[in-house]
Amino acid sequence: MARQAHAYHMVDPSPWPLTGAVAALLMTSGLAVWFHFNSTVLMTMGLALLLLTMYQWWRDIIREGTFQGHHTPPVQKGLRYGMILFITSEVFFFLGFFWAFYHSSLAPTPELGGCWPPTGIIPLDPFEVPLLNTAVLLASGVTVTWAHHSIMERERKQTIQALTLTILLGFYFTALQAMEYYEAPFTIADGVYGSTFFVATGFHGLHVIIGSTFLAVCLLRQIQYHFTSEHHFGFEAAAWYWHFVDVVWLFLYVSIYWWGS
Amino acid sequence: MEKKIIHALKTGSDPFSMLRPKEYAGTKQDPHMVPSITDKRIVGCICEEDNTAVVWFWLHQGEAQRCPSCGSHYKLVPHELPH
Repeated sequence: MARQAHAYHMVDPSPWPLTGAVAALLMTSGLAVWFHFNSTVLMTMGLALLLLTMYQWWRDIIREGTFQGHHTPPVQKGLRYGMILFITSEVFFFLGFFWAFYHSSLAPTPELGGCWPPTGIIPLDPFEVPLLNTAVLLASGVTVTWAHHSIMERERKQTIQALTLTILLGFYFTALQAMEYYEAPFTIADGVYGSTFFVATGFHGLHVIIGSTFLAVCLLRQIQYHFTSEHHFGFEAAAWYWHFVDVVWLFLYVSIYWWGS
Repeated sequence: MEKKIIHALKTGSDPFSMLRPKEYAGTKQDPHMVPSITDKRIVGCICEEDNTAVVWFWLHQGEAQRCPSCGSHYKLVPHELPH
């Protein structure tokens, strides 16, 4: 017989894990070279290799799943577990930064003036742009759910509209945050307040950009008829990631912007 | 095209062993039906629940065989893989 008797996917050999590892090596050593020898060549090469690896690896997964049909129910279940575990690891990543924030802010040292926000720091008004940002992300959570239901109900046009709106809201958030960063009266160098604020919100912003990119890829795939009403795990993974980004923002908003002001 | 194959067989048969195996009594009248793509398959019998020693044996096509330890009946059911 020519075929396997199980429903799992035995992947073909692929060079992308190796190129990804090489990219990681070049980026890290390139970072050190940049710090000590004032040259960004190595790091840039690493970054280019990383982008190529990501594009080709995920393109291959789409080929295997959507075009070749290898993503059977047990395979899809594995992918779901994988995405959930990945998001969980990201939750722990952010938990570290929240720990740092609360460590410094619950018992402010005398050097800060014994108060939080520290003496001299003018915090951002939580009821201005940050509140708008909260509304933008919450709305995008609604639109991505609308998109999901549209996919399941085979409403092609509505799916495209809802997904596009979600991505636009994501861009709007990023633009607003960028403006806030530019206009903020404090910088990352302004003591532990600046450090915790910009590292936590900065990594969050990076995740918003990553999430928006993921959704944009889903939009392109949707336009090209990759998703069916029953099988659209790529979209679900993007939606989960987007909800995670939204939830992290809510915690950031309540802790750093609101309580911390 | 695995998906097409799997969907085609939501007719009841399960050639890719995706679902839990059916329960059988294991008697002569109701032997354990063991699907196979060749004419023999290894069977591991856990005679009593929570037994840590599994009884392994080859099950050949033809008449039902009995587990050497607990005596349950097993019958090979050869089938073709869809392709």
